[in-house]
Amino acid sequence: MSARNHEQWNAQPKLQSGEWVDSKIYSDEEIFEEELEKIWKQMWIPVCHESELKNAYDFRTMTIAREPVIVVRGKDMKVRAFLNVCPHRGNMIERRPSGSFAKSTPSGTPKTMTCMFHAWQFDMKGKCVNITRKEEGYQDRLCESDVGLRELKSEVYFGGFIWVSLNDNINQTVEEFAAGALDSLAPSVNEEPLEVFHYHKAIIDCNYKLWHDTNCEFYHDYLHYHNRITGFNDEYFARKNTGFKGGHVNVGSFEVQYENYEGFHSREELSFPHLPANQWYMIDMFPGVNFNLRGSALRSDIMTPLGPNKVMIEFRGLGLASDSPKDRKIRIDHHNSIWGPFGRNLCEDLIAVTGQGAAMQSGSESRQILHGRHENETIHDENGMRHYYEEWGRWVGRSPSHPDQPFVEPAETA
Amino acid sequence: MAVNGAETAEKIKSLIYKTCLYQDDCEWKNWLDLCSDDFNYYIRAYSPEIQKDMEYMGGPKEYMESITGQLRKHNIDDSPLKRHGIVYRVDVADDNKSATAVTSLTVFQTLLGGNSSHVDSGTTGIFLVGRYNDKFVIDGNDVKFIEREVRLDTRRLDKGTHWPI
Ligand code: FES
Ligand SMILES: [Fe+2]
Repeated sequence: MSARNHEQWNAQPKLQSGEWVDSKIYSDEEIFEEELEKIWKQMWIPVCHESELKNAYDFRTMTIAREPVIVVRGKDMKVRAFLNVCPHRGNMIERRPSGSFAKSTPSGTPKTMTCMFHAWQFDMKGKCVNITRKEEGYQDRLCESDVGLRELKSEVYFGGFIWVSLNDNINQTVEEFAAGALDSLAPSVNEEPLEVFHYHKAIIDCNYKLWHDTNCEFYHDYLHYHNRITGFNDEYFARKNTGFKGGHVNVGSFEVQYENYEGFHSREELSFPHLPANQWYMIDMFPGVNFNLRGSALRSDIMTPLGPNKVMIEFRGLGLASDSPKDRKIRIDHHNSIWGPFGRNLCEDLIAVTGQGAAMQSGSESRQILHGRHENETIHDENGMRHYYEEWGRWVGRSPSHPDQPFVEPAETA
Repeated sequence: MAVNGAETAEKIKSLIYKTCLYQDDCEWKNWLDLCSDDFNYYIRAYSPEIQKDMEYMGGPKEYMESITGQLRKHNIDDSPLKRHGIVYRVDVADDNKSATAVTSLTVFQTLLGGNSSHVDSGTTGIFLVGRYNDKFVIDGNDVKFIEREVRLDTRRLDKGTHWPI
Protein backbone atom coordinates (compact mmCIF):
# COMPACT_ATOMS: atom_id res chain seq x y z
CA MET A 1 0.00 0.00 0.00
CA SER A 2 1.30 3.46 -0.75
CA ALA A 3 -0.68 6.57 0.12
CA ARG A 4 -3.92 5.82 1.99
CA ASN A 5 -7.53 6.87 1.63
CA HIS A 6 -9.61 8.21 4.53
CA GLU A 7 -10.67 4.82 5.78
CA GLN A 8 -7.18 3.38 5.58
CA TRP A 9 -5.74 6.49 7.24
CA ASN A 10 -8.12 6.07 10.19
CA ALA A 11 -7.78 2.32 10.51
CA GLN A 12 -6.26 1.02 13.70
CA PRO A 13 -2.45 0.96 13.38
CA LYS A 14 -0.66 -2.37 13.26
CA LEU A 15 0.57 -1.71 16.78
CA GLN A 16 -0.50 -2.84 20.22
CA SER A 17 -2.80 -0.77 22.38
CA GLY A 18 -0.74 1.82 24.24
CA GLU A 19 1.61 2.21 21.29
CA TRP A 20 -0.26 5.13 19.87
CA VAL A 21 -2.43 7.95 21.21
CA ASP A 22 -5.35 9.81 19.68
CA SER A 23 -4.41 13.39 18.78
CA LYS A 24 -7.65 14.47 20.45
CA ILE A 25 -5.81 14.30 23.77
CA TYR A 26 -3.74 17.23 22.48
CA SER A 27 -6.58 19.31 21.11
CA ASP A 28 -9.87 18.71 22.89
CA GLU A 29 -11.20 21.53 25.11
CA GLU A 30 -13.08 19.22 27.42
CA ILE A 31 -10.11 16.94 27.96
CA PHE A 32 -7.94 19.98 28.62
CA GLU A 33 -10.26 21.24 31.38
CA GLU A 34 -10.30 17.76 32.89
CA GLU A 35 -6.52 17.68 32.90
CA LEU A 36 -6.35 20.94 34.85
CA GLU A 37 -8.77 19.59 37.45
CA LYS A 38 -7.64 16.00 37.66
CA ILE A 39 -3.90 16.39 37.14
CA TRP A 40 -2.54 19.92 37.48
CA LYS A 41 -4.55 20.78 40.59
CA GLN A 42 -3.60 17.50 42.24
CA MET A 43 0.17 17.19 41.71
CA TRP A 44 3.35 18.70 43.06
CA ILE A 45 4.47 21.35 40.58
CA PRO A 46 7.87 23.08 40.89
CA VAL A 47 7.19 26.78 40.54
CA CYS A 48 10.58 28.43 40.93
CA HIS A 49 13.97 28.04 42.60
CA GLU A 50 14.89 29.11 46.12
CA SER A 51 17.66 31.37 44.79
CA GLU A 52 14.92 33.58 43.33
CA LEU A 53 13.85 34.48 46.88
CA LYS A 54 17.14 34.79 48.73
CA ASN A 55 16.19 37.13 51.54
CA ALA A 56 13.46 37.31 54.13
CA TYR A 57 10.39 39.06 52.67
CA ASP A 58 11.32 38.17 49.06
CA PHE A 59 8.50 36.84 46.92
CA ARG A 60 7.75 35.27 43.52
CA THR A 61 4.37 35.01 41.84
CA MET A 62 3.08 32.44 39.35
CA THR A 63 -0.03 30.45 38.45
CA ILE A 64 -0.95 26.78 38.59
CA ALA A 65 -3.94 25.75 36.51
CA ARG A 66 -5.05 29.42 36.29
CA GLU A 67 -4.90 29.86 40.09
CA PRO A 68 -2.66 32.78 41.13
CA VAL A 69 0.07 31.66 43.52
CA ILE A 70 2.57 33.60 45.60
CA VAL A 71 5.66 32.16 47.25
CA VAL A 72 7.24 34.21 50.04
CA ARG A 73 10.21 33.80 52.34
CA GLY A 74 9.34 34.60 55.91
CA LYS A 75 11.33 36.33 58.62
CA ASP A 76 12.13 32.78 59.79
CA MET A 77 13.61 32.16 56.27
CA LYS A 78 11.02 29.50 55.62
CA VAL A 79 9.37 29.49 52.20
CA ARG A 80 5.57 29.40 52.19
CA ALA A 81 3.07 29.42 49.37
CA PHE A 82 -0.37 31.03 49.28
CA LEU A 83 -3.10 31.69 46.82
CA ASN A 84 -2.26 35.18 45.59
CA VAL A 85 -5.86 36.24 46.14
CA CYS A 86 -7.22 38.73 48.62
CA PRO A 87 -9.94 37.35 50.88
CA HIS A 88 -11.77 40.69 50.70
CA ARG A 89 -12.96 41.03 47.13
CA GLY A 90 -10.73 38.64 45.28
CA ASN A 91 -8.09 41.02 43.96
CA MET A 92 -4.71 39.58 43.08
CA ILE A 93 -2.60 40.69 46.00
CA GLU A 94 0.77 41.01 44.30
CA ARG A 95 1.15 41.69 40.59
CA ARG A 96 4.92 41.91 40.19
CA PRO A 97 6.75 38.74 39.15
CA SER A 98 9.18 39.09 42.04
CA GLY A 99 10.33 41.56 44.65
CA SER A 100 10.49 42.19 48.34
CA PHE A 101 7.91 43.04 50.96
CA ALA A 102 10.67 44.47 53.15
CA LYS A 103 9.85 47.93 51.83
CA SER A 104 6.55 49.74 51.96
CA THR A 105 4.18 49.89 49.00
CA PRO A 106 1.95 52.82 48.04
CA SER A 107 -0.98 51.22 49.90
CA GLY A 108 0.90 49.56 52.73
CA THR A 109 3.57 49.46 55.39
CA PRO A 110 6.80 47.38 55.18
CA LYS A 111 7.05 43.69 56.01
CA THR A 112 3.49 42.90 55.02
CA MET A 113 1.72 41.81 51.87
CA THR A 114 -0.73 44.60 51.21
CA CYS A 115 -3.63 44.34 48.83
CA MET A 116 -3.47 47.68 47.05
CA PHE A 117 -7.26 47.87 46.62
CA HIS A 118 -8.53 48.46 50.17
CA ALA A 119 -5.20 47.95 51.95
CA TRP A 120 -5.89 44.74 53.85
CA GLN A 121 -2.55 43.40 55.08
CA PHE A 122 -1.08 39.97 55.68
CA ASP A 123 2.13 38.76 57.25
CA MET A 124 4.54 36.26 55.69
CA LYS A 125 2.68 33.39 57.35
CA GLY A 126 -0.54 34.41 55.62
CA LYS A 127 -2.16 35.84 58.73
CA CYS A 128 -4.31 38.91 58.17
CA VAL A 129 -2.81 41.68 60.30
CA ASN A 130 -4.91 44.64 59.29
CA ILE A 131 -8.43 45.22 58.02
CA THR A 132 -8.71 48.90 57.30
CA ARG A 133 -11.51 50.60 59.29
CA LYS A 134 -12.52 47.21 60.64
CA GLU A 135 -14.77 48.24 63.54
CA GLU A 136 -16.52 50.89 61.48
CA GLY A 137 -17.40 48.42 58.78
CA TYR A 138 -17.61 45.00 60.37
CA GLN A 139 -18.22 45.95 64.03
CA ASP A 140 -17.57 42.64 65.79
CA ARG A 141 -18.87 40.45 62.97
CA LEU A 142 -15.58 39.80 61.18
CA CYS A 143 -12.00 40.13 62.36
CA GLU A 144 -8.48 39.45 61.11
CA SER A 145 -8.41 35.85 62.28
CA ASP A 146 -11.36 35.08 60.01
CA VAL A 147 -9.69 36.23 56.81
CA GLY A 148 -6.23 34.70 56.57
CA LEU A 149 -4.79 33.81 53.19
CA ARG A 150 -5.26 30.37 51.71
CA GLU A 151 -1.98 28.54 52.37
CA LEU A 152 -0.82 25.96 49.84
CA LYS A 153 1.31 22.93 50.49
CA SER A 154 4.93 23.60 49.58
CA GLU A 155 8.30 21.94 49.82
CA VAL A 156 11.85 22.79 48.86
CA TYR A 157 13.25 19.72 47.17
CA PHE A 158 15.82 18.63 44.58
CA GLY A 159 18.56 21.22 44.42
CA GLY A 160 16.41 23.96 45.91
CA PHE A 161 13.36 23.88 43.64
CA ILE A 162 10.17 25.08 45.31
CA TRP A 163 7.27 22.71 44.77
CA VAL A 164 3.68 23.69 45.39
CA SER A 165 0.45 21.73 45.29
CA LEU A 166 -3.06 23.10 45.14
CA ASN A 167 -4.20 19.82 46.68
CA ASP A 168 -4.36 20.07 50.49
CA ASN A 169 -4.93 16.34 50.66
CA ILE A 170 -1.92 15.28 48.64
CA ASN A 171 -0.71 12.24 50.50
CA GLN A 172 2.87 12.18 49.24
CA THR A 173 6.00 14.19 49.86
CA VAL A 174 7.78 15.42 46.73
CA GLU A 175 10.30 12.67 47.29
CA GLU A 176 7.57 10.05 47.32
CA PHE A 177 5.95 11.67 44.29
CA ALA A 178 9.27 11.50 42.39
CA ALA A 179 9.46 7.77 43.15
CA GLY A 180 13.19 7.59 42.49
CA ALA A 181 13.14 9.45 39.17
CA LEU A 182 15.29 12.26 40.57
CA ASP A 183 17.80 10.00 42.28
CA SER A 184 20.33 9.85 39.44
CA LEU A 185 20.93 13.60 39.70
CA ALA A 186 20.28 14.10 43.40
CA PRO A 187 23.94 13.86 44.49
CA SER A 188 24.92 16.39 41.81
CA VAL A 189 22.28 18.99 42.61
CA ASN A 190 22.16 18.52 46.39
CA GLU A 191 25.89 18.71 47.12
CA GLU A 192 25.89 22.49 47.39
CA PRO A 193 23.40 25.33 46.80
CA LEU A 194 22.44 26.08 43.22
CA GLU A 195 21.61 29.43 41.69
CA VAL A 196 19.44 30.39 38.73
CA PHE A 197 21.32 32.41 36.13
CA HIS A 198 18.97 32.17 33.17
CA TYR A 199 15.27 32.78 32.63
CA HIS A 200 13.23 33.20 29.50
CA LYS A 201 9.85 32.05 28.40
CA ALA A 202 8.07 30.77 25.35
CA ILE A 203 4.33 30.83 24.81
CA ILE A 204 3.69 28.59 21.87
CA ASP A 205 0.76 27.09 20.06
CA CYS A 206 0.86 23.46 21.01
CA ASN A 207 -0.41 21.22 23.79
CA TYR A 208 1.83 20.98 26.86
CA LYS A 209 2.17 17.23 26.42
CA LEU A 210 3.75 17.69 23.01
CA TRP A 211 6.56 19.65 24.65
CA HIS A 212 6.85 17.00 27.33
CA ASP A 213 6.94 14.30 24.64
CA THR A 214 9.82 15.99 22.88
CA ASN A 215 11.72 16.05 26.16
CA CYS A 216 10.92 12.35 26.73
CA GLU A 217 12.11 11.01 23.40
CA PHE A 218 15.51 11.30 21.75
CA TYR A 219 14.50 9.77 18.42
CA HIS A 220 14.07 13.40 17.38
CA ASP A 221 17.81 13.99 17.55
CA TYR A 222 17.47 13.79 13.77
CA LEU A 223 16.09 17.31 14.16
CA HIS A 224 19.29 18.54 15.78
CA TYR A 225 22.44 18.68 13.69
CA HIS A 226 24.33 19.45 16.88
CA ASN A 227 23.17 16.31 18.66
CA ARG A 228 23.79 14.09 15.68
CA ILE A 229 27.42 15.03 15.35
CA THR A 230 28.19 15.27 19.07
CA GLY A 231 26.12 12.20 19.94
CA PHE A 232 25.28 9.37 17.59
CA ASN A 233 27.72 6.64 18.61
CA ASP A 234 27.46 3.25 20.31
CA GLU A 235 27.37 4.71 23.78
CA TYR A 236 24.59 7.10 22.75
CA PHE A 237 22.44 4.32 21.32
CA ALA A 238 22.92 2.32 24.52
CA ARG A 239 21.45 5.11 26.73
CA LYS A 240 18.62 3.72 28.78
CA ASN A 241 15.14 5.19 29.01
CA THR A 242 13.78 4.23 32.41
CA GLY A 243 10.24 4.70 33.63
CA PHE A 244 9.46 5.38 37.28
CA LYS A 245 6.20 5.03 39.16
CA GLY A 246 3.99 8.04 38.60
CA GLY A 247 4.74 8.54 34.90
CA HIS A 248 8.24 9.93 35.35
CA VAL A 249 11.07 9.03 33.00
CA ASN A 250 14.82 9.20 33.29
CA VAL A 251 17.08 9.12 30.25
CA GLY A 252 20.47 7.73 31.18
CA SER A 253 23.73 9.42 30.40
CA PHE A 254 26.66 9.08 28.04
CA GLU A 255 29.70 11.15 27.15
CA VAL A 256 28.92 13.92 24.67
CA GLN A 257 31.66 14.82 22.16
CA TYR A 258 31.11 18.58 22.20
CA GLU A 259 34.26 19.31 20.23
CA ASN A 260 32.73 17.58 17.18
CA TYR A 261 30.69 20.74 16.66
CA GLU A 262 32.93 23.48 15.28
CA GLY A 263 33.44 26.23 17.84
CA PHE A 264 32.34 24.06 20.81
CA HIS A 265 34.57 22.65 23.55
CA SER A 266 34.59 19.98 26.22
CA ARG A 267 32.72 20.86 29.43
CA GLU A 268 34.88 18.63 31.56
CA GLU A 269 36.34 21.30 33.84
CA LEU A 270 32.98 22.47 35.19
CA SER A 271 31.02 19.27 35.65
CA PHE A 272 28.42 19.35 38.39
CA PRO A 273 29.55 17.57 41.59
CA HIS A 274 29.89 13.77 41.34
CA LEU A 275 29.23 13.86 37.61
CA PRO A 276 31.76 12.30 35.22
CA ALA A 277 32.90 14.62 32.40
CA ASN A 278 30.49 15.70 29.67
CA GLN A 279 27.60 13.58 30.87
CA TRP A 280 24.03 14.36 29.90
CA TYR A 281 21.09 13.30 32.04
CA MET A 282 17.46 14.09 31.39
CA ILE A 283 14.59 13.65 33.83
CA ASP A 284 10.97 14.11 32.79
CA MET A 285 8.52 14.47 35.64
CA PHE A 286 4.82 13.91 35.23
CA PRO A 287 2.82 15.95 34.26
CA GLY A 288 5.10 18.50 32.58
CA VAL A 289 8.43 19.29 34.17
CA ASN A 290 11.87 18.59 32.85
CA PHE A 291 15.34 18.65 34.39
CA ASN A 292 18.20 18.43 31.96
CA LEU A 293 21.84 18.37 33.03
CA ARG A 294 24.52 18.68 30.40
CA GLY A 295 27.67 18.42 32.51
CA SER A 296 28.18 22.01 33.48
CA ALA A 297 24.70 23.52 33.42
CA LEU A 298 21.30 22.43 34.67
CA ARG A 299 18.18 23.40 32.75
CA SER A 300 14.63 23.19 33.96
CA ASP A 301 11.49 23.51 31.85
CA ILE A 302 8.39 24.31 33.85
CA MET A 303 5.20 24.20 31.86
CA THR A 304 2.00 26.11 32.43
CA PRO A 305 -0.77 24.81 30.17
CA LEU A 306 -2.82 27.73 28.85
CA GLY A 307 -5.24 25.93 26.56
CA PRO A 308 -5.50 22.71 24.55
CA ASN A 309 -3.22 24.27 21.97
CA LYS A 310 -1.24 26.76 24.06
CA VAL A 311 1.47 26.34 26.64
CA MET A 312 3.90 28.61 28.42
CA ILE A 313 7.30 27.09 29.03
CA GLU A 314 9.62 28.80 31.48
CA PHE A 315 13.25 27.97 30.85
CA ARG A 316 15.78 28.30 33.65
CA GLY A 317 19.51 27.72 33.68
CA LEU A 318 21.30 26.92 36.94
CA GLY A 319 24.87 26.74 38.14
CA LEU A 320 26.47 26.43 41.56
CA ALA A 321 25.91 29.35 43.92
CA SER A 322 29.63 29.20 44.73
CA ASP A 323 30.70 29.78 41.09
CA SER A 324 33.46 32.31 40.52
CA PRO A 325 32.47 34.96 37.96
CA LYS A 326 34.75 33.23 35.43
CA ASP A 327 33.19 29.81 35.99
CA ARG A 328 29.70 31.26 35.92
CA LYS A 329 30.40 32.88 32.55
CA ILE A 330 31.55 29.54 31.15
CA ARG A 331 28.46 27.77 32.48
CA ILE A 332 26.25 30.45 30.96
CA ASP A 333 27.99 30.07 27.59
CA HIS A 334 27.58 26.31 27.75
CA HIS A 335 23.91 26.65 28.62
CA ASN A 336 23.16 29.26 25.97
CA SER A 337 25.05 27.71 23.09
CA ILE A 338 22.53 24.86 23.00
CA TRP A 339 19.57 25.85 25.16
CA GLY A 340 19.42 29.65 25.03
CA PRO A 341 16.73 31.39 22.99
CA PHE A 342 19.47 31.95 20.39
CA GLY A 343 21.06 28.53 20.88
CA ARG A 344 21.54 25.60 18.54
CA ASN A 345 18.79 23.24 19.72
CA LEU A 346 16.04 24.96 21.62
CA CYS A 347 14.54 26.81 18.65
CA GLU A 348 14.58 23.59 16.65
CA ASP A 349 12.53 21.79 19.29
CA LEU A 350 10.09 24.69 19.48
CA ILE A 351 9.65 24.81 15.71
CA ALA A 352 8.94 21.08 15.61
CA VAL A 353 6.30 21.01 18.36
CA THR A 354 4.46 24.03 16.97
CA GLY A 355 4.33 22.12 13.70
CA GLN A 356 2.56 19.35 15.59
CA GLY A 357 0.30 21.91 17.27
CA ALA A 358 -0.66 23.40 13.90
CA ALA A 359 -1.70 19.98 12.63
CA MET A 360 -3.71 19.12 15.78
CA GLN A 361 -5.77 22.21 16.45
CA SER A 362 -9.02 21.96 18.35
CA GLY A 363 -11.67 20.56 16.04
CA SER A 364 -9.28 18.95 13.61
CA GLU A 365 -9.79 15.31 12.80
CA SER A 366 -8.38 12.74 15.19
CA ARG A 367 -5.04 11.33 14.16
CA GLN A 368 -3.01 8.48 15.47
CA ILE A 369 0.20 9.62 17.06
CA LEU A 370 2.59 6.68 17.10
CA HIS A 371 4.60 5.86 20.19
CA GLY A 372 5.43 2.34 19.11
CA ARG A 373 9.21 2.08 18.78
CA HIS A 374 10.77 -0.73 20.79
CA GLU A 375 14.55 -0.77 21.07
CA ASN A 376 15.19 -2.53 24.34
CA GLU A 377 14.28 0.64 26.28
CA THR A 378 17.23 2.51 24.89
CA ILE A 379 17.40 6.06 23.63
CA HIS A 380 15.22 5.75 20.49
CA ASP A 381 12.69 3.46 22.13
CA GLU A 382 9.44 5.33 22.71
CA ASN A 383 8.80 3.64 26.06
CA GLY A 384 9.15 6.99 27.86
CA MET A 385 6.04 8.35 26.16
CA ARG A 386 4.17 5.06 26.57
CA HIS A 387 4.95 5.15 30.26
CA TYR A 388 3.78 8.75 30.55
CA TYR A 389 0.47 8.16 28.78
CA GLU A 390 -0.35 5.14 30.87
CA GLU A 391 -0.15 7.38 33.93
CA TRP A 392 -2.06 10.12 32.13
CA GLY A 393 -4.87 7.67 31.40
CA ARG A 394 -5.02 6.70 35.05
CA TRP A 395 -5.45 10.29 36.24
CA VAL A 396 -7.84 11.48 33.56
CA GLY A 397 -9.75 8.23 33.43
CA ARG A 398 -9.63 8.09 29.65
CA SER A 399 -7.83 5.75 27.31
CA PRO A 400 -5.05 7.71 25.56
CA SER A 401 -5.67 5.89 22.28
CA HIS A 402 -9.48 5.97 22.56
CA PRO A 403 -10.16 9.00 24.77
CA ASP A 404 -13.91 8.50 24.58
CA GLN A 405 -13.47 5.19 26.37
CA PRO A 406 -12.44 4.73 30.00
CA PHE A 407 -8.87 3.91 30.92
CA VAL A 408 -8.17 0.24 31.50
CA GLU A 409 -5.05 -0.92 33.31
CA PRO A 410 -2.81 -2.70 30.82
CA ALA A 411 -2.60 -6.42 31.42
CA GLU A 412 0.51 -7.42 33.37
CA THR A 413 2.94 -8.98 30.93
CA ALA A 414 5.00 -11.90 32.08
CA MET B 1 34.28 65.53 21.04
CA ALA B 2 37.47 65.78 19.03
CA VAL B 3 37.81 68.27 16.15
CA ASN B 4 37.05 65.57 13.62
CA GLY B 5 34.63 63.83 16.01
CA ALA B 6 31.53 64.85 14.07
CA GLU B 7 32.87 63.21 10.96
CA THR B 8 33.71 60.03 12.89
CA ALA B 9 30.27 60.04 14.47
CA GLU B 10 28.66 60.09 11.02
CA LYS B 11 30.87 57.23 9.96
CA ILE B 12 29.82 55.25 13.02
CA LYS B 13 26.15 55.84 12.35
CA SER B 14 26.44 54.55 8.83
CA LEU B 15 28.43 51.58 10.09
CA ILE B 16 25.65 50.66 12.51
CA TYR B 17 23.03 50.93 9.77
CA LYS B 18 25.20 48.76 7.56
CA THR B 19 25.13 46.02 10.19
CA CYS B 20 21.33 46.19 10.25
CA LEU B 21 21.20 45.68 6.49
CA TYR B 22 23.76 42.89 6.46
CA GLN B 23 22.12 41.08 9.34
CA ASP B 24 18.63 41.52 7.86
CA ASP B 25 19.96 39.81 4.76
CA CYS B 26 21.77 37.11 6.76
CA GLU B 27 25.09 38.25 5.32
CA TRP B 28 26.95 37.21 8.43
CA LYS B 29 30.42 37.39 6.93
CA ASN B 30 29.90 40.93 5.68
CA TRP B 31 28.57 41.87 9.13
CA LEU B 32 31.55 40.38 10.94
CA ASP B 33 33.98 41.98 8.48
CA LEU B 34 32.96 45.31 10.02
CA CYS B 35 34.28 44.05 13.34
CA SER B 36 37.85 44.01 14.63
CA ASP B 37 39.55 40.70 15.39
CA ASP B 38 39.05 41.38 19.11
CA PHE B 39 35.30 41.85 18.65
CA ASN B 40 32.90 40.42 21.22
CA TYR B 41 29.17 40.02 20.78
CA TYR B 42 26.58 39.69 23.56
CA ILE B 43 22.82 39.47 23.88
CA ARG B 44 21.86 40.41 27.41
CA ALA B 45 18.71 41.18 29.36
CA TYR B 46 17.76 41.98 32.89
CA SER B 47 15.17 39.58 34.28
CA PRO B 48 12.79 41.07 36.83
CA GLU B 49 11.55 37.50 37.31
CA ILE B 50 14.81 36.17 38.76
CA GLN B 51 16.21 39.65 39.50
CA LYS B 52 19.40 38.95 37.58
CA ASP B 53 21.27 40.39 34.69
CA MET B 54 21.47 37.60 32.14
CA GLU B 55 23.39 36.75 29.03
CA TYR B 56 21.43 34.95 26.30
CA MET B 57 24.24 34.63 23.78
CA GLY B 58 27.82 35.71 23.55
CA GLY B 59 31.17 35.09 22.05
CA PRO B 60 34.21 36.44 20.28
CA LYS B 61 34.31 37.09 16.53
CA GLU B 62 35.74 33.66 15.82
CA TYR B 63 32.85 31.94 17.59
CA MET B 64 30.28 34.08 15.82
CA GLU B 65 31.90 33.21 12.48
CA SER B 66 31.85 29.54 13.36
CA ILE B 67 28.21 29.35 14.46
CA THR B 68 26.85 31.50 11.65
CA GLY B 69 28.87 29.41 9.21
CA GLN B 70 27.03 26.25 10.26
CA LEU B 71 23.48 27.58 10.07
CA ARG B 72 22.65 25.85 6.81
CA LYS B 73 22.89 22.54 8.66
CA HIS B 74 20.25 23.58 11.18
CA ASN B 75 16.45 23.55 11.03
CA ILE B 76 15.97 27.27 11.34
CA ASP B 77 12.84 29.38 11.45
CA ASP B 78 13.38 31.21 8.18
CA SER B 79 10.81 33.94 8.83
CA PRO B 80 12.80 37.06 7.93
CA LEU B 81 13.79 39.51 10.66
CA LYS B 82 14.04 43.24 9.96
CA ARG B 83 15.97 45.46 12.29
CA HIS B 84 14.65 48.96 12.81
CA GLY B 85 17.43 50.92 14.46
CA ILE B 86 17.78 54.57 15.28
CA VAL B 87 21.14 55.76 16.50
CA TYR B 88 20.32 57.90 19.52
CA ARG B 89 23.80 58.77 20.59
CA VAL B 90 27.44 58.54 19.48
CA ASP B 91 30.31 59.53 21.78
CA VAL B 92 33.76 59.75 20.25
CA ALA B 93 36.66 59.82 22.72
CA ASP B 94 38.81 62.97 22.82
CA ASP B 95 41.82 61.13 21.47
CA ASN B 96 39.67 59.92 18.52
CA LYS B 97 40.75 56.34 19.14
CA SER B 98 37.52 54.89 20.45
CA ALA B 99 33.81 55.56 20.50
CA THR B 100 30.55 54.26 21.87
CA ALA B 101 27.05 54.40 20.43
CA VAL B 102 23.52 53.67 21.62
CA THR B 103 20.93 52.57 19.08
CA SER B 104 17.28 52.00 19.83
CA LEU B 105 16.25 48.72 18.28
CA THR B 106 13.04 46.99 17.30
CA VAL B 107 13.17 43.74 15.38
CA PHE B 108 10.15 42.74 13.33
CA GLN B 109 9.48 39.21 12.16
CA THR B 110 7.45 38.46 9.06
CA LEU B 111 6.28 34.89 9.24
CA LEU B 112 7.08 32.51 6.45
CA GLY B 113 6.18 29.15 7.93
CA GLY B 114 4.77 30.48 11.16
CA ASN B 115 2.64 27.83 12.75
CA SER B 116 0.55 27.14 9.69
CA SER B 117 1.93 28.96 6.67
CA HIS B 118 -1.46 28.99 4.92
CA VAL B 119 -2.79 31.23 7.68
CA ASP B 120 0.31 32.87 9.10
CA SER B 121 2.67 33.56 6.21
CA GLY B 122 3.08 37.26 5.56
CA THR B 123 2.10 38.27 9.09
CA THR B 124 4.45 40.76 10.70
CA GLY B 125 4.89 41.03 14.43
CA ILE B 126 7.38 42.50 16.85
CA PHE B 127 10.00 39.90 17.61
CA LEU B 128 11.91 41.84 20.21
CA VAL B 129 12.72 45.29 21.52
CA GLY B 130 16.02 46.53 22.90
CA ARG B 131 19.13 48.54 22.20
CA TYR B 132 22.48 48.10 20.57
CA ASN B 133 25.21 49.32 22.91
CA ASP B 134 28.22 49.40 20.60
CA LYS B 135 31.91 50.10 21.15
CA PHE B 136 34.36 50.99 18.40
CA VAL B 137 38.09 51.17 17.81
CA ILE B 138 39.30 53.95 15.57
CA ASP B 139 42.58 53.89 13.73
CA GLY B 140 42.87 57.01 11.57
CA ASN B 141 40.15 56.59 8.98
CA ASP B 142 39.42 53.03 9.93
CA VAL B 143 36.50 52.45 12.33
CA LYS B 144 35.59 48.96 13.51
CA PHE B 145 33.25 47.41 16.04
CA ILE B 146 35.06 46.00 19.07
CA GLU B 147 31.93 45.14 21.04
CA ARG B 148 28.22 44.87 20.46
CA GLU B 149 25.85 44.36 23.32
CA VAL B 150 22.26 43.72 22.29
CA ARG B 151 20.41 44.72 25.43
CA LEU B 152 16.91 43.23 25.32
CA ASP B 153 13.73 44.24 27.08
CA THR B 154 12.00 41.19 25.62
CA ARG B 155 12.26 37.96 27.60
CA ARG B 156 9.37 36.13 26.05
CA LEU B 157 11.10 34.91 22.91
CA ASP B 158 8.79 32.06 21.94
CA LYS B 159 10.59 30.04 19.29
CA GLY B 160 13.72 32.20 19.50
CA THR B 161 16.07 32.25 16.53
CA HIS B 162 19.40 30.86 15.40
CA TRP B 163 20.29 34.24 13.98
CA PRO B 164 22.34 36.81 15.89
CA ILE B 165 20.34 40.01 16.40
S1 FES C 1 -9.83 43.31 47.43
FE1 FES C 1 -8.09 43.24 48.67
S2 FES C 1 -8.41 44.69 50.15
FE2 FES C 1 -10.21 44.73 48.99
FE1 LIG D 1 15.44 18.36 21.22
